[in-house]
Amino acid sequence: MIESVCYLLLGMGAAFCAYRAMISNHLLPSTLYLACVSALASITLYMLGAQEVAVIELSVGAGLVTVLLVYAISVVGEDNLDPSSIIPKPLAFVLVSTIAILAASMVYPLLTSVNGAEQVPLAQVLWKERALDVWVQVALIFSGVMGVLGLLSEKEQKNRSHEEVIPSVELEKEVHV
Amino acid sequence: MTAILVSLVIGIPWIGALILWRTSDEAPRLQHTLAVAFSIAAGLSSLALLPYATSNTVIDIPMGSVFGNLTFTPDGLAVTLTIIACVIGSLAVIFSVDYMKGEAQLSRYYAFVLLFIGAMAGLVLSGSILFMFFFWEITALCSYALISFYNDDPKAVAGGIKALIITQVGGVGLLAGALITYATLGSYQISDLINNTESMPANLLGLIAFGFLLAAAAKSAQFPFHTWLPDAMEAPTPISALIHAATMVNAGVYLLARFYPAFVHVPGWALSVTIVGLISALITAFMALTATDLKRALAYSTVSQLGYMVYAIGVGGFFASQFHLLSHAVFKALLFLAAGAVIHAAGTRDMRRMGALGRQMPFVRNVFILGALALMGLPILNGFWSKELILEMGLTHGPLWAYVGMLLVAGMTAFYTLRMTWLVFFGKAREALHVHETGIAMKISLGLLAIGTFTTWLLAGPFSHMLQQTLVFHSVTELTTLELVEEILFTPATYGALAVVTLGLGIFWLGRKQAAVGKEARFDILSRESFGFEWLNRQVTSLTLQAGSALQKTQTGKLNWNVMGILGALLAVLAFLLWSA
Amino acid sequence: MTLDPLNAVLIGVILLLAVGFYGLLITRNLIKIVLVLQILVKAVVIALVLAGKASGQPGLGQSIAATVIVADTIVAVVALALAVQVRIRFGTLDLSKISSLRG
Repeated sequence: MIESVCYLLLGMGAAFCAYRAMISNHLLPSTLYLACVSALASITLYMLGAQEVAVIELSVGAGLVTVLLVYAISVVGEDNLDPSSIIPKPLAFVLVSTIAILAASMVYPLLTSVNGAEQVPLAQVLWKERALDVWVQVALIFSGVMGVLGLLSEKEQKNRSHEEVIPSVELEKEVHV
Repeated sequence: MTAILVSLVIGIPWIGALILWRTSDEAPRLQHTLAVAFSIAAGLSSLALLPYATSNTVIDIPMGSVFGNLTFTPDGLAVTLTIIACVIGSLAVIFSVDYMKGEAQLSRYYAFVLLFIGAMAGLVLSGSILFMFFFWEITALCSYALISFYNDDPKAVAGGIKALIITQVGGVGLLAGALITYATLGSYQISDLINNTESMPANLLGLIAFGFLLAAAAKSAQFPFHTWLPDAMEAPTPISALIHAATMVNAGVYLLARFYPAFVHVPGWALSVTIVGLISALITAFMALTATDLKRALAYSTVSQLGYMVYAIGVGGFFASQFHLLSHAVFKALLFLAAGAVIHAAGTRDMRRMGALGRQMPFVRNVFILGALALMGLPILNGFWSKELILEMGLTHGPLWAYVGMLLVAGMTAFYTLRMTWLVFFGKAREALHVHETGIAMKISLGLLAIGTFTTWLLAGPFSHMLQQTLVFHSVTELTTLELVEEILFTPATYGALAVVTLGLGIFWLGRKQAAVGKEARFDILSRESFGFEWLNRQVTSLTLQAGSALQKTQTGKLNWNVMGILGALLAVLAFLLWSA
Repeated sequence: MTLDPLNAVLIGVILLLAVGFYGLLITRNLIKIVLVLQILVKAVVIALVLAGKASGQPGLGQSIAATVIVADTIVAVVALALAVQVRIRFGTLDLSKISSLRG
């Protein structure tokens, strides 16, 4: 029962932080709240017995992604307030809560703790049973890095030449309005 | 050995297509030579396949559980059509050496022609419905690309798009049939489908049968899809001869013939096939009566003759339809190529501007007359035997009203064929066109095809023997050529049909003075509009465009609305799952 | 009323998913979208581990969760690089202004 309460509190905390991250008008606090979500999620993962995943989540999710977000915000600038939503908020709220209730009611009866399940080490699953797609992941990471390098180098060229290819005068105007 | 030959028949043209695609347009001589070499090699290997015709599957490559096996079965039916595709293909390529002299972008032209020849061979040889669909679509692609070969001409582009879209509609029918087959039997093999028709649910079998009829009608330009073929005449004439007269349009007839044993017991199927054939033959013969464009007139007559073949399958004359297919491929390719020679020399396709060209081009005139006589169905050319065989099958096995309709078509065919010949080669010269006799490459292909119109009917005996030996599911009664001749000559129906043909000829002869009148009567407009089917096509197009612009409103490009759509779909799925559980 | 621990986790997952979806619906800022996607992925990672545990194959669930984290990080990196480019070229991060579709 204690375990359940712990999970519940962790889940609520994570959801609360996520909510704060979402509604905050500034990007930097949002990022910090996201890091909190990540940390709470990784505690949950740890308690669920997925220690390795928890570590990856903590280092990558809370660490790397936060750093990246902060870097991006520092390039972009903090001045971008989130404008008002296009979709009416009540409509969005009703839609999302209906889906949440339906999904929860479908999954809820299916979940029961399984005791004495055989414990296959994660490493074995990763490198023995799923060898192929782990290598695909490596290729994916590599291509991701290459893509970002490409995008950033393109940016530097732009800054050096100071040529705005796409006329953004009109767009700028809209921003100020 | 057979496996090697089958892969050669498909592989040689495709390798040739690849090589020609990469050749430079600066060296047209090299391109002509390469294209002729590859197409003749393909033609020879297809002829070499003839003695090896077998009902066994000679190539069987597993392509994974979802795609089934890629199989090739060179039985008599498949081998015959392969030979038609490859041999007439090589003749069309030889003809192109003169016809396309000096044209730009020959690499594109020849690459698509060779790709088409290989795909057509694959389509008929394939033993798997899924891969048949694959080759089917390649032929549609080649047809489109070659109709629109002169891609700076808006009419050519429009004609190509029209052909592509209409044949795609048919392709959907074929794909649906293939998928339903796979869903019920777990196999794409044609033999599995024909073997298991009794155990299949009747409604699913009916779906497959009518899906395939849709595919065949669209591919063979049969009613109600007959509007694309006349517009496809913007293609270079060798293409019209090869793809739109001799081979690709036969794919629909082939499909019906191939699956005839599976679908013959589906209620209403055979009758529908008969009616489709009858209506197509009738209305396009009407349109051909007043057509003024030489190639369009030939296109109408192609649809009309394909209607004969479809009708023959509907009344159960499997052999008659395939025999007519063979005859038609030869004499219609001849007519188209001869027409191409005329158009090439005269620089116009309008028959009202021609006349008395026969004096200047005697060779073309002579071969055209041979083709025309075969098309009319006059003895002893190949068209006579096969058409009479179909009419006899129709009289003995089919409904009488359909037979009367087809007899009428035979008379109209005689009328418009004579009209065509008269307007182009005889009468008075209405314009001073400076034409010249054709080149040597054109003469070779025309001459070979002209010999074919005399001789291919002699193959009826061996042909039926081969079909009888190698087709497992079709019941073909073997008959020798002599038996065929006796059967046709001693049937009173033959003379009835000949009388109708003579009547058609006589009516034209009496009214030949009016034939070249340039004015367009009300009837002509009706013909040009395909009895309202052009209107129908335009309606479908404009409805699609309207629906497109209406649906455009939903694409705001705003991410939030897209997410909203995704979540709405998720909600619908969840609600459905809960409701069904 | 007793609450199974797995169901307690489920409630957390559903809440996180709901917040994420809501965020996707109302947010227009491109960087914020990336951030909200991260929230959704956290929920999915927990759900995968949870599903592995409930179905008796924890190793499989965890390995897929690890895959998802890696893939998602790549997505976040590329998306952020794109967002920076968008900001530089268009002068705004507002998604509704970047779109060139005029439905």
